[in-house]
Amino acid sequence: MMIRTDSIAFKTIMTVLAVIGVAIATLPIFAIVLMSFSPTTEMRFPPEALSLHWYGEALALFNGGAGDASAWSALTTSLLVGLSVMVISILVCVPLSYVLMRQSTSWNRVIETLVTLPLTFPLVALGLAFLLLAEALPFDIGIARLVIPHLTLAMPFVLRNCLSALNGIGTDIEDAAISLGSSPIRAAIDVILPLMRPGIIAGMTFAFVVSFNEFTVTFFMYTIDFSTLPLWMYSRTVSSLDPTALALSSLIIVVDIVIILAIDRIAGGTKNIL
Amino acid sequence: MTRITRLQLLLMLLPALLCIAPFVATLVLIGRFSLSAEPAAIEGFSLHNFAVLAEPFYFGAFLTTLRLASIATLIVIVLAVPIALLMASITKSWLRRLMSTLILLPLFLNLLIQSYGWIMLLGPAGLANRLLLDSGLTKVPLRFLFSETGVLIGLVQTSLPLAVFPIFVGMSAISKDYLEAAASLGGGAWSSLRSIILPLLTPSIVAAASIAFAYNASAFAVPLLLGGRRVQMLGVVIRDQIAPLLDFAGASATGVMLILVTTAAMTLGGIMARRASARA
Repeated sequence: MMIRTDSIAFKTIMTVLAVIGVAIATLPIFAIVLMSFSPTTEMRFPPEALSLHWYGEALALFNGGAGDASAWSALTTSLLVGLSVMVISILVCVPLSYVLMRQSTSWNRVIETLVTLPLTFPLVALGLAFLLLAEALPFDIGIARLVIPHLTLAMPFVLRNCLSALNGIGTDIEDAAISLGSSPIRAAIDVILPLMRPGIIAGMTFAFVVSFNEFTVTFFMYTIDFSTLPLWMYSRTVSSLDPTALALSSLIIVVDIVIILAIDRIAGGTKNIL
Repeated sequence: MTRITRLQLLLMLLPALLCIAPFVATLVLIGRFSLSAEPAAIEGFSLHNFAVLAEPFYFGAFLTTLRLASIATLIVIVLAVPIALLMASITKSWLRRLMSTLILLPLFLNLLIQSYGWIMLLGPAGLANRLLLDSGLTKVPLRFLFSETGVLIGLVQTSLPLAVFPIFVGMSAISKDYLEAAASLGGGAWSSLRSIILPLLTPSIVAAASIAFAYNASAFAVPLLLGGRRVQMLGVVIRDQIAPLLDFAGASATGVMLILVTTAAMTLGGIMARRASARA
């Protein structure tokens, strides 16, 4: 009998703590989505009625000439930076992961450490450091000002996905191809690359989501010409929060959830993320 | 192992080396700038920028950073272990997927958007204050935001995923047999948590705590957006050193300090985790 009450108390306390934790993680996100349907500008939570009014306003911002030119330019910059990071990081990480897994060079450890280091590096120090670098250069590097730092931040995730994709592929198929007369590089391209596809797609998706949501480093790097959507939203809402920003946020939340679920499906589990 | 030529090897590593180069350059630059005698240019050598960090304002920010990061990390671990237990006990795969997505979202979703959510929940006209006022518990709205409370809540939220996943992975590695053995020997749930689960989980918990601490200590967006001017953490101090003060050398010294703090936390965590797994 003792043990029973004891175990009920245990289960209750553990469940309560877990629920509090999940609530802290998700409540602000639910609050944004709920409030974005509020019909009024008054930020009274929860809203008294539901409306799609602010979604119309948010989409109108991006409506070419009639919308807000700075919003459109921030969105295109965000997409351009995200897509560049996606393509470059995969072109870098696929061959890198092959060397790290299949060829033992004395550089392997150093390179892997340097690529993954930004993951645990203080973002604010990284923002400052990239700002110093960009300012130290004698010429303007244009949009690379944002692409390079975003690439640094995305590569650890992409490399991890590529490595884990390669990890699941046995060397025997490759060896078979080579023994049939194929060169190691041909074998890698023809045999390994197609098998790595899920990992590659997951890695690319990660790269995009990291870049698209980046705030801290971009805060130090943005210029009048190159600002991203999060920074545009920051400058718009720094003095007061408006419902249009919430509608826009909700759209971004939906995009993020879809992307995370997609990665989960493609790569078979979110285990490679952290 | 299949061998490829040196040239092929170099060609495959070259893109990675090119991509690492700017990062390495920034490390050198921030280190060198922190030792500069001039605030806005690299000139001469001086330890002045580090000496400034001992002044009351900067040292206070340093202590605030350590204190808030430690408290947030403690809360995060207390919440992350039950969440990991719950996730491990979920057998329906869609439910587990939903839960891991919900926990993961705060890590990726941009921090600005998350702060909007807290403003609506904790602001003067937010849900928490409405409930408190309506129930008559307080007469005036309480200040949650732009205070240390707001920053702490934000830190807990954003670092929770970083702690949950390492602990969850550690928990999956503990064999069910151990737990069943503990139960069949008549140990209660608490004692099996204390004597079986926690000791086996210690390496993962230590690793999770050091990651969460490093992340919290270097927080920027959370204190900026939820702390306002009232909560000076080192991340925000760096911004102020750049933006109104134009003291790049001072900002670099603070940045180097932050890098040292997080590296120390990660290294110490690594050593402790290895010791714990050697004992377990």
